[in-house]
Amino acid sequence: MAEDDSEWIIESIVGYLGSPEWVIPVTDFMENKCTVFDDEDENKLSYTEIHQQYKKLAEKLLENYMQEVGINEQQFLDACTSPFAKSQSLQPMFQPVLATDDFQMFRSLMVQKNMELQLQALRVIKEKNGALPECLTDGVDVMTELQQQEMKILEEVLKKSKEEYDEEMSRRLLTEMKIGSTSSSSSDKPNTEGVEAQEATITSFTQSNTSKPTSDCGGSSIQSRILPAVRAPTKSSESSDANSHQTEERSSSREAAAEAYLEEAHREAGFSKPYTELSPSQQEQLQQRAAYLRQQRDKLHALKKEQQKTRQPAVPEEPSASPIPAPSTNSEAVGQPQMNGASSPPPAPTSLSQHSANSTKQKEISAEEKKKLQKRKHLADKLKEEVIKK
Amino acid sequence: MGEAQKGLLSVIEKLKGSTEQEIRIVLLGLDNAGKTTLLKSLASEDVNTITPTQGFNIKSVASHGMKLNVWDIGGQRKIRPFWKKYLENTDLLIYVIDSADKKRFEETGLELSELIDEENLKGVPVLIFANKQDLATASPASEIAEGLNLHTYRDREWQIQACSAVSGEGVQDGMNWICNNIVNKKK
Repeated sequence: MAEDDSEWIIESIVGYLGSPEWVIPVTDFMENKCTVFDDEDENKLSYTEIHQQYKKLAEKLLENYMQEVGINEQQFLDACTSPFAKSQSLQPMFQPVLATDDFQMFRSLMVQKNMELQLQALRVIKEKNGALPECLTDGVDVMTELQQQEMKILEEVLKKSKEEYDEEMSRRLLTEMKIGSTSSSSSDKPNTEGVEAQEATITSFTQSNTSKPTSDCGGSSIQSRILPAVRAPTKSSESSDANSHQTEERSSSREAAAEAYLEEAHREAGFSKPYTELSPSQQEQLQQRAAYLRQQRDKLHALKKEQQKTRQPAVPEEPSASPIPAPSTNSEAVGQPQMNGASSPPPAPTSLSQHSANSTKQKEISAEEKKKLQKRKHLADKLKEEVIKK
Repeated sequence: MGEAQKGLLSVIEKLKGSTEQEIRIVLLGLDNAGKTTLLKSLASEDVNTITPTQGFNIKSVASHGMKLNVWDIGGQRKIRPFWKKYLENTDLLIYVIDSADKKRFEETGLELSELIDEENLKGVPVLIFANKQDLATASPASEIAEGLNLHTYRDREWQIQACSAVSGEGVQDGMNWICNNIVNKKK
């Protein structure tokens, strides 16, 4: 008889704790008052006031319910202490009830609620703007440990994309330089033609001297066409699956570009032999120009970075441009220096390569944006998990 | 109606269903007396990075098979009016005194006597920690007891314990007194 009673009562209580009659006022209260609850070790005096208010609310609700159903406190207690009520699945339902008497539990519920609301707000902002405004990603006033980790990751990502952008830019400049007066930007700075060529030598010396120290011009350009395809997979295997295609494409085009620079630089400088076969005086001459040109390049890149930074937040998140197949980008970059006749190539492929460079850059930004969002989402999930575990 | 409310409170209290006995302890005293340092020392936490408490701290310490919930509330003058909100259902008051701050002995004595008169603390045992005994200028516990007229307390158990929250000396003796005298009586 008594057992039947308690079973019926438990079902009723569980039903009540899941009903809007209980859930709505309690959730409303928590959502309204949770904003002052943070994760600091020390409690604010205002927490006590809010806890008192919560106590009053919950007690009133439970009292009304017990009167309505016609059970007394003892029956309520018996039901709540029965093994059934203590099962794992029902524990969360009773937490708001226990929180009336347990400040620590109340506090953790409120902190959790506050966190949930903050994450929701972040999601809304993201959906509205496509990206988080800088003030929300670079905040320096209250940096929690997690935020600091996040900043480190963000900085890594930004640094990487900057590097990639630099590569892209020098490749573009090279292409522009080759088509000479047909390109508008190269006509802006006709004096830098030689500069860029020289710069290419520097880049290629630092990047690909392992790949072509001995071979002659013709052989190396063939090698350069083969190498990226062979090498790309090993590089991409280090990066995550999601980006593997992109990384492959980028790394191969980078290498191809480096090879191209070297070829171009030699041609421009009037040396037909590879660097290692030049006379010491010629080498020295090259080194000197290299030092000067490095300075010029740094200035130029600093300027470009500035421009990119200001442009970046304005770029909305959009479905990334259709990926350009790696081989086409490759052949474009590698193919040109092979036309060793120094005659300007037809304008059509050039504009194509320029366009491809543009869209690649755009894709880079949106991909970076996506990566950022993914990282943030992941962190948010982790955060949530930790809080809920508490 | 009032009775029903009281019943409900006790119901929810019992709901926690812990087999452990729980003791609610409130830790009070003037600012800079060393309350938070004492709390952290009880919880075996680092005591080197403590800043003046603007709100309150809570630590649960397991001792002698019991769970001691210790509430440390800030002691600055502007916070003291809030003390009385934390006194309900208190099983024990710990009052901390900076034994080297002679200029404020009178002030701390006044605050203590006000607490002793609080309705919610009627008959509640009090443990006084004469803290900062590691300082050369600290007054001995017996002197402080005399200054506070502790011997006139007739309505409750009391104890004064010399200690240094920084070094931990004397703290355990105080806790032992709590467990031996208070807890047994509660049962």
